[in-house]
Amino acid sequence: MTYESSDSPRGGVRRRTVLGGAAAAAAGLALAGCGDDGDAPRERRKGQKITLTFWSWVPGIDRPVDLWNRTHPEVQVKVEKVSAVNGEQYAKMHAAIKAGNPPDLGQIEFPVIPSFLLDGGLRDLAPLGAARHRDAFFAWQWGQSVFGSGIYAIPQASGPMGLFVRQDLFDRWGIPVPRTWDAYAAAAKEVRRHGAWIETFAPTNGNRFAGLAWQAGAKWYATHGDTWVVHLDDAPTRRVADYWEALVRGKLVKTIPDRRDAWYKDIQTGAIPAWVGASWGDALLAGNAPGTKGRWRAAPLPQWRPGGRAYANWGGSTTAVFAKASYPRDALDFAVWLNTDPGSIALLLQGGYGFPSAKAGYAATALDADKDFFGGQPYSRVFADAGAHVDTSWQWGPGVDTLFQRLGDAFTDALADGSSFRSVLTKVQRQTVSDLRDKGLKAESGR
Amino acid sequence: MLPFLAFFALCYLAPVCYAVWTSLRRTRRTGPLGLGTEHDTFAGLANYAQALADDRFLTGFGRVLLFGAVQIPLMTVLATALALLLESAAARWVTFFRGAFFLPYGVPGVIASILWGFLYVPGLSPLVRIAQGVGWNVDFLSRGSVLWSVANIVTWQFTGYTMLVLIAQLKSVPGELYEAARIDGASAWQVARYVKLPLLRPALVLTTVFSIIGTLQLFAEPMVLRPLTSSIDSGYTPNLHAYSEAFVGNNQHRAAAEAVLLALVACAASFGFLRLVGGRGKERG
Repeated sequence: MTYESSDSPRGGVRRRTVLGGAAAAAAGLALAGCGDDGDAPRERRKGQKITLTFWSWVPGIDRPVDLWNRTHPEVQVKVEKVSAVNGEQYAKMHAAIKAGNPPDLGQIEFPVIPSFLLDGGLRDLAPLGAARHRDAFFAWQWGQSVFGSGIYAIPQASGPMGLFVRQDLFDRWGIPVPRTWDAYAAAAKEVRRHGAWIETFAPTNGNRFAGLAWQAGAKWYATHGDTWVVHLDDAPTRRVADYWEALVRGKLVKTIPDRRDAWYKDIQTGAIPAWVGASWGDALLAGNAPGTKGRWRAAPLPQWRPGGRAYANWGGSTTAVFAKASYPRDALDFAVWLNTDPGSIALLLQGGYGFPSAKAGYAATALDADKDFFGGQPYSRVFADAGAHVDTSWQWGPGVDTLFQRLGDAFTDALADGSSFRSVLTKVQRQTVSDLRDKGLKAESGR
Repeated sequence: MLPFLAFFALCYLAPVCYAVWTSLRRTRRTGPLGLGTEHDTFAGLANYAQALADDRFLTGFGRVLLFGAVQIPLMTVLATALALLLESAAARWVTFFRGAFFLPYGVPGVIASILWGFLYVPGLSPLVRIAQGVGWNVDFLSRGSVLWSVANIVTWQFTGYTMLVLIAQLKSVPGELYEAARIDGASAWQVARYVKLPLLRPALVLTTVFSIIGTLQLFAEPMVLRPLTSSIDSGYTPNLHAYSEAFVGNNQHRAAAEAVLLALVACAASFGFLRLVGGRGKERG
């Protein structure tokens, strides 16, 4: 997700050879069935003018698209804004696929790509020669949409995680910025003594929880042969669950939803002086708490091991071409241009779209779009470093939307009835296996 | 008659049949990891069985029934009282108040929920601040109170509407009847209690049936409040549960089964209520 789709928690991640070995063998025969890659794509005649539709929610996306339209008179792109509240954009896309009238292109976050593959909703871009663009992007992000021999989307942005803190308040209270999770818990206690809460554990934010589990070394989805294996209830995830449960039960963190009115109010007033967020959070803070300008700093994500360098990703999205796209070759050209053209990246950065997936984008000075807000700190370096050390073996499976919802429901229950966070993991793991089977997939529990 | 039947079939029968058909099917996938082909097969009652085995779905029913048991009587009494007061001889500015009470009904449920949402969120809400000012620590969005915060929105929205239906019924009564009662020496209270209330019966039955159906369909209010609080889960009401199945889980078949179950319960509750009051009516008559 790219920042603003603040309500639909989904973290981007890396899938890499994702369905790697498992799918690769069978990929040739079966993956061909997904998307219309069997048919030859419709080609545009030379000089023919066409219009492609593009569903996106990214703020300011119109500006790079305008630039494309000015420089590419034959292939015009029309942006249709979709709501990103509570995942509405995907509900709409799935419905359009079912009804047979999807747009040509769509903004799709990393974790939900497998769900769209199940629908047969995305066009395999490999036969169109997409592979030649691979080197323009960071390998793990490119890998997010590679399944077997198929390439199903062009990466746009990611969200390396970090810690945002109100440096002025931490200084005034004499609390050092925590480098480890132990120090973070100690800081939470100190902050509480001063009447504030270090931050919130939002039970329905499955996306961030996934990022934290990822940092700890969890691997929620794997494939074994033609079977999905779900490992939600593994040791690293339990560690994360225990940790946050202790903070919640010790009343050291709030449990209100993040990135909603009450949370923004707390951020504005200093009632919540920290946020374990992602790179795109800069625009959210600067946009929603302008009164705190100059007092924030970005710090690396706290570590489990002192001196460690384990990082994770929260958010990240792609530009995908739908299976029914009228002119897939032109759609692919646009998707690649949008995410690699320096002019386009500069305009996207102004809109605050996150961390560019294109290698060239990392060099852009415009990354520190809200530098003044962070007291002049070149804060993007913190996230660039995190991005470079993200564990790239994490992969998503189908139905991540449902998984996040299950997690949210189970954490909500746990907060209410006092059951343990570990029982949440056990329960959601069981549900997820059963959900995958309901979809007609082979699935089993990781333990 | 034919045009009506055509419309009826197209707008009512066809969607219902489609929902029932969908609920009896399931998607099967083949190929490695299911990424190959997909096709729908007959599932029998499996979707129903799964829906009924889902705790959250059943809890949702329990929740809306509790909601209805409290909210419907409360709103009906309120609306009846307002209707009687406004139609009493002493009422002034009748048109203004009638309009004012009816106004919330003109506000779409989603907008109303957003408005109330602002009044519920701690840190923003003036209500919470005032309450805290007098030492009352109130949380409208906590697990225990959020259902009643939703009830408040629904009551705010529909009391005026219900009141208007009741007033329409009162208006249809010939004025001589009241006159006769007054000549017999009945006080305003007696006229209300012994003349107007019995006359209101058909309208009260009608609005109660509307309320029962509306309660079971509860959706917009919890849907809008959900992002504001950690107390509303994805299956808070049966309708919300079906929505989540269809649009988050992308499982239209299970959602269709849940929708059919919801319709059956709404049917049973409405006809059950009609039968209950119908029976009593006959005894009296």
